[in-house]
Amino acid sequence: MATLELVDLAKRFSKKVWGVRKMDLDVNEKEFIVLLGPSGCGKTTTMRMVAGLEEVTRGTIHLDGKDITDIPPRDRGISMVFQNYAIWPHMTVFDNIAFSLKLKKMPKAEIRQRVQETADMVKIGELLKRLPGQLSGGQQQRVALARALAVKPKLFLMDEPLSNLDAKLRVVMRTELKAIHQQTEATSIFVTHDQSEAMSMADRIVIMKDGEIIQIGTPDDVYFRSANMFVAGFIGTPPTNFFNIRCSVDGEEISLKHSNFKLVLPLKDFSELDAYNGKELVVGVRPEDIAVDSSDKALFTNKVLVVEPQGSHQVVALKLNDAIVKTIVSADQSVKPGDSIGFNFNLKRLHFFNMETENRIKTASEI
Amino acid sequence: MNSALQRQLRRSAKRTSLYIVLVGILFIIIFPIFFLFSFSFMSDYETYSEWPKPLVPSFKADFKIDKDTEGYHLYIFNKSENDFMPFGPLFFSNSEKDVSNLRKFIKLQANSKITDQKIEEYLRIVDKESKVEFSVRKDLLANYILFFQVINGAARAVLNSLMVAGATVVIALTIGGMGGYAFARYFFKGKNLLKLSVLFVRMFPAVSLAIPMVIILARMGLYDRPLGLSLVYSVGQISMSIWITASVFMSIPISLEEAAMIFGTTRVGAFWHVTLPLALPGLAACAMYSFIGSWNEVIAAVVLTQFNPTFPVVVYKALVGSQGQINLITAGSVAQAVPAIIFTLIIRKYIIQMWGGVKV
Ligand SMILES: Nc1ncnc2c1ncn2[C@@H]1O[C@H](COP(=O)(O)OP(=O)(O)OP(=O)(O)O)[C@@H](O)[C@H]1O
Ligand SMILES: [Mg+2]
Repeated sequence: MATLELVDLAKRFSKKVWGVRKMDLDVNEKEFIVLLGPSGCGKTTTMRMVAGLEEVTRGTIHLDGKDITDIPPRDRGISMVFQNYAIWPHMTVFDNIAFSLKLKKMPKAEIRQRVQETADMVKIGELLKRLPGQLSGGQQQRVALARALAVKPKLFLMDEPLSNLDAKLRVVMRTELKAIHQQTEATSIFVTHDQSEAMSMADRIVIMKDGEIIQIGTPDDVYFRSANMFVAGFIGTPPTNFFNIRCSVDGEEISLKHSNFKLVLPLKDFSELDAYNGKELVVGVRPEDIAVDSSDKALFTNKVLVVEPQGSHQVVALKLNDAIVKTIVSADQSVKPGDSIGFNFNLKRLHFFNMETENRIKTASEI
Repeated sequence: MNSALQRQLRRSAKRTSLYIVLVGILFIIIFPIFFLFSFSFMSDYETYSEWPKPLVPSFKADFKIDKDTEGYHLYIFNKSENDFMPFGPLFFSNSEKDVSNLRKFIKLQANSKITDQKIEEYLRIVDKESKVEFSVRKDLLANYILFFQVINGAARAVLNSLMVAGATVVIALTIGGMGGYAFARYFFKGKNLLKLSVLFVRMFPAVSLAIPMVIILARMGLYDRPLGLSLVYSVGQISMSIWITASVFMSIPISLEEAAMIFGTTRVGAFWHVTLPLALPGLAACAMYSFIGSWNEVIAAVVLTQFNPTFPVVVYKALVGSQGQINLITAGSVAQAVPAIIFTLIIRKYIIQMWGGVKV
């Protein structure tokens, strides 16, 4: 339970290689923060700086208001789960978990109790006598988790702890981690590049790119109010579809012209677009906001290119002017490749982006 | 003949000839070692009077005594002739002096211990029944004991060798280990060049370095002292240790150390608690190499010692200075190999130690 403050944090590995360019982040007490971003964007580097394994090039780190930028890892009150677990193969599960407690010279009985407690929490209470080599990947991961939890840290860092697990176990662990967080209430930072993991676990998501923060916000923020085209394209599977359109204001109406369709919107709901009269901008539409419309009110009609059944729903891909557009259609509709189908947009869920800056144009219609 | 069968035949012919060659090579390698061991347990009689040699040394010697007008005659069973052959004095009486001489002769030539009383007892049987056959247990280690009795300072030399090898292992492992750790964990300019240049010291033959070494060691007051010799050996062993330990440390993920640092240790503590125990098998192998390397070294030791030779030097000098006495020298050679073998066996435990096959 602690607050963490990163101020102007940066890490430069060499003249040309920046690990992190600039990080400003305030983490509140008990918060579960997820760092999300493409490979190489500096997530691990950030975590390592917070943990004290990497010297910072610039900036400061405050934990509970105390500057910890230059103190050694062991004095920071932080624990970490490594991407590759990094549990010690020559120690039993018990010794792995008890390691930090022994160093703190905790009485033996208390150590035993604490270890059992944490091991039970992550469901490895029966495995304490084994060596890590005799455990499955999922169990090893739990050992790493227990080791980190046993410290009762102020701040709990997890660097892609689930990335080595199979898809199913990953979903299970996700839920358990969340439950453990609610139980321990330790401030946590969790790194992942799996966005569904991020969406389901985070209190707030920090989206990074090229060593910089692009957006900080709740899962809803980043999903429904993506700060720019990068975020909109990164979050969501399949990602947001982008359409280049020309905007023209015509009395009380705005018409957005695409080569395949023309959207007409009331100006009073989208007054911010007034400034783009006669200019081009980008409209983003999430796949689930493109609905099949067999009536004559359909916005556009197109041939289906591919259908990918997903069980609960199916992903339908169309080819619109050389661009692939993906939509989500409920499973009960029968759609076949080659069918000509009409589609419509959910006008309440349109995202507008400036073509040059790629930043979001906020509109009054936003939920 | 169809082609499949032909192919199969050709393949099995190929494999068979490969095995024949391999077995041949194995024999060439194994046989000298085998005979070294075998000879070291043989008595003089077995060594020089039996041909072809038996594959394994016998554990007893068979004797026969009979009697004619001259006196008693002693025979020994010769395995290659498969018959009793005359042994020792042409004839002897049952006087105390003759019996005692006979005992000594049997001990020296057949490595078998028998008492005077026992011989007299046998002679009495001969008196009654005209001949007697008996066997005496062979003293297998007689050559070894004799070697250390006959060769001056052999026991001291073993001690010297142990000190030299021990000190070399300690020096090579601490300095080499630290170097290896630095090469494995830190990045610095010219690292690869430096690592390569470490091998440079091994490129010169020991002899060519020995003379300057004598001068340097003499100045340091370490000439003819075990520590001086181990310093010389350490030069080569350190460079090898650096390479071995560097690869050992490289194979241990740095994240294991980092985890230790997060969970409460200093950098040194992380090395102590995590890296060292994990590196132990590799370090043990490295220690073994250093030990064997310095234990067996002769050339530098010959030059750099005078009154305090190491054991290989003693064996070497015994070999050069002896006339025959093959069985005695082989005993010395085997004795030289034994500590290295024991050391290897002790350390083997660590080398084959696996941490449950974990992927780290
Ligand atoms: N020790 C290092 N030396 C030099 N460059 C490094 C070092 N570590 C990381 N980098 C660089 O810094 C950048 C950020 O790396 P980082 O490991 O933080 O990425 P990441 O977001 O964790 O990626 P991933 O999702 O693949 O784990 C990358 O371009 C990487 O190449
Ligand atoms: Mg990473």
